[in-house]
Amino acid sequence: MAERVLITGLGMVTAIGDNVAGNLKSLRMQQSGIGFTQHIDTIYKDSLPVAEVRHSTATLQEMAGVAGKDGYTRTTLLGLIAMREALADAGIADASEEPTGFINASTVGGMCDTEKVYFDVINPEKEGNFLQYIDTLDCADCTQRIADTVGISEYIATISTACSSSANALMFGARLIRAGLVRRVICGGTEALTRFTLNGFNSLKNIDKQHCRPFDQHRNGLNLGEGAAYLVLESESLARQRHATVKAELKGYANTNEAFHPTAPSPEGDGAFAAMQQALAMGGVAPEDVQYVNVHGTATLSNDLAEGHALQRLFGNKVPPFSSTKPFTGHALAAAGGIEAIYAVLAIQHALIFPNLHFSEKMEELYITPETQLKEGVPVSNVISNSFGFGGNNASLLISKYEG
Amino acid sequence: MSAISPQHSFGENVFSQPLMTVSENVFACVEPDYRAYMPPNSIRRMTRILKVGLTAALQCMQDAGITVPGAIVTGTGKGSLSDTERFLKEIREYKETALNATPFIQSTYNAVNGLIALQQKCTQYNNTFVHRGFSFENALLDAMLLIAEGNKDILVGAFEEITAEHFYIKSRIGFWKKEKIASNELYQHPTPGTISGEGAAFFLLSDTPGEVQLSGLKMVYKPKESYLQKFLASHELNLEDIDLVISGRNGDSNFDHYYDGLPNELPFKHLCGEYDTSGAFALWLGAQILKAQQVPANWFPMLTVPAGPYKNILIYNHFFGEQHVYMLLTLNTGYLK
Repeated sequence: MAERVLITGLGMVTAIGDNVAGNLKSLRMQQSGIGFTQHIDTIYKDSLPVAEVRHSTATLQEMAGVAGKDGYTRTTLLGLIAMREALADAGIADASEEPTGFINASTVGGMCDTEKVYFDVINPEKEGNFLQYIDTLDCADCTQRIADTVGISEYIATISTACSSSANALMFGARLIRAGLVRRVICGGTEALTRFTLNGFNSLKNIDKQHCRPFDQHRNGLNLGEGAAYLVLESESLARQRHATVKAELKGYANTNEAFHPTAPSPEGDGAFAAMQQALAMGGVAPEDVQYVNVHGTATLSNDLAEGHALQRLFGNKVPPFSSTKPFTGHALAAAGGIEAIYAVLAIQHALIFPNLHFSEKMEELYITPETQLKEGVPVSNVISNSFGFGGNNASLLISKYEG
Repeated sequence: MSAISPQHSFGENVFSQPLMTVSENVFACVEPDYRAYMPPNSIRRMTRILKVGLTAALQCMQDAGITVPGAIVTGTGKGSLSDTERFLKEIREYKETALNATPFIQSTYNAVNGLIALQQKCTQYNNTFVHRGFSFENALLDAMLLIAEGNKDILVGAFEEITAEHFYIKSRIGFWKKEKIASNELYQHPTPGTISGEGAAFFLLSDTPGEVQLSGLKMVYKPKESYLQKFLASHELNLEDIDLVISGRNGDSNFDHYYDGLPNELPFKHLCGEYDTSGAFALWLGAQILKAQQVPANWFPMLTVPAGPYKNILIYNHFFGEQHVYMLLTLNTGYLK
C-alpha cells in the first residue's frame, strides 16, 4: 500500500503578505493586493492593474538571506523567501539531513531580470555586469539556486505547464513519495511579474483594466500577480517518525487535458470536470463531502464559464461554497497552484471560507454564484483546488483534514 | 520511437545513412517533409521546433501503432527559443502595442504537449519538464511512474532548438569552443567549450515487454563523486556486464574528465551536438543499437566501435557538469516499443 502524503510545512510570499500569516491576515481583512506596478518597465504601468510584491529587489535579497549577493533573479528571491519559511514551518533546520526532492514550477524563469538586459546581451558592442544574468532566463536557474542555497539535491525538477504548473509540481512530488523513491519533497512554484507576460496576456485580450471579477456576469479578464509558495510533503511514516505537525493531507489529484484549443477550455468544462472527478475518486471522497472549492477563477470569459459548468456537472444542485482568491493575489501563473493549495490548507486549519471579491451579478449561463462573504467557524474537511492552463492542461488537488 | 536530429535519423535505413558533419560549431536538424503530418496552414503558422516536436511525436505513435496514448510527457530545456526571441523583439519594436499573440502562445513550454494532445484528442495526463539536463529524464521518470501506476502506452519525448541568437548568447559565457572545428573531429579537440546542437526524440513506453527494456534511470545533481558503481550495484551489475557505454563526451576540457575510464565507450555528441535534452537522442541511439545488434556503420569512422553482442547498454550523460544521468537499456524483456 502506497504511503499517505502529508503536508507538514508551508511558506509563501504574495502581494497580500510576506509569509503565510500575512496572507491569512489579508484574506481575513479582505484586503486585495492588486494595484499598479512599481517594478516593471511598461507603458501599462498606470493602466493595467497587477498584484505585485511591493518590496524592491534589494529588500527581497535581505528577506531571502542573500543580502548584497548578485545573480539572484526576482523569481529566485521570491522562491527562496517562500522556501525558507516552508522549511522553518516544518521544523526542518537542515534540508540536507534527509534525502529531499524539490519540484519547482516556473513559466518564464528569470525573464523578469533578463528582459531588462536582453538587448545588451545580444549586442556584441556591450559588455558588463549583465552577463551574469545570461544563464538565468531558463526555468531551471531559479530551481537550482534555491536548492543549492538551502541544500537540497536528491530530486530536482522544474515543471512548466503554464497556469497549472505548481499544481502539477505538487502532484509529481506526491507521486515520488507514493512510489517510495523519496520520503520528503518540497513542491510549489515561483513567478515574478514581467513585461513579457503582461504583454502576452494583453495581446490575448485577457487582462481587465479594473480589478478582476471572477464568476461575475461582467467579468472582463484577469489581473496578473507574482509570488511564490511551497509546501513540504512528507510520507506519513517520516512525519510520524519525527513527530512533525501535520497540517493537512494531499489525498487526491488528477491531471487531464482538454484537447480542445491551445488557449481556451471547452465551454462545457470537460477537462475541469474530469480532473475534479478523478481527484475525488482517488481520495475516496464523495462530492457531498467537499466543503469548499478554491476555483481557478481567473475571471476570463472562457475559464469561468467552463469551470462553472464543470462545477454544476459534478455537484448538481449541491455545489459547495466556492471562491476565487485571485482578486487578492492576482493570477500568479506558475505560483498560483501552490498559493491556492496553501489557502486550502488554511481553510481547513482555521475553519474558514474565503470570499470571492468584486462579485455582483450572477453569470447568465450558470445557476451558481461564488461565496462573497468571509465565513468563519465553518468546519472544512475536504477542499478541491483547481489550476487550469494553456495547452488544455487541467490539474485538480484534493486537500483534506488529516485524520491519522 | 522516432528521432529528428542533425543526422538522417528520421527515415528508413538508419544504419546505412552517411555521417552528417558541420564546421561552424553548431548543428541543425535535418527537417522532414511535414506535409504528411499536418495541414499546410499549420506548417505555415507553427515555428520550427513546434513542427519538429509534433512530427517526431506523431511518427513515434505511428511506428508503435497507437493513435491515442495513455499520457503525454515531454522535456525541453528552452522550449521554442524562436518564439521567445520574436516576442521580446516585437514588444520592443511595436512599443507594447498591437502585438500578435502567436509567438507568446508558442513560447509557452508546454505548447508542443498541448498540440499533440489536441491533434490526437488525448484527454489524459499531460506534463512538461523544463530543467536543463534533467528535462527529458524527469519526463522519462514521470512516464515510468505512470506505467507503474497502471497506465498504458505513455508517449514520452523531448525537443530542443538552437537559434543563431541563442548560440551567440551562450558563446558569451563560454559554452562553445572559440576555435571552429569539424564536428567529426570533436574528440580530438580537448579545449574549453563544445559544439551546439538540437533535436527531438519520442518514445512509446509500454507496460508489456518488447525487445528493449529501460531497466534503470538515475539522475544525480552536482555529484561530489562518481555514482557509476552505485548505479550498477543497484541493478546487480558490474562494469564487465556492460557491453556498451554511450557517453556524453563532448570535447569540453572543463567537464570531459567525468567520462574518463569508461570501458566500451561510444560517445555520441559528434552526431547531434550539445543541448539540454541530448539524452533523448542517446536513448534513441541506444535502443536502435540494441534492437539491431549493430552500430550505425557510417556514423563512427573516427572511433573503434566496441564489438557486440550488446545485451546491456549504459548511457551516461551530463550537462555542463551539473545534471548527471545514468540510463540502463537491456535487451529482450522490455518496455520500449
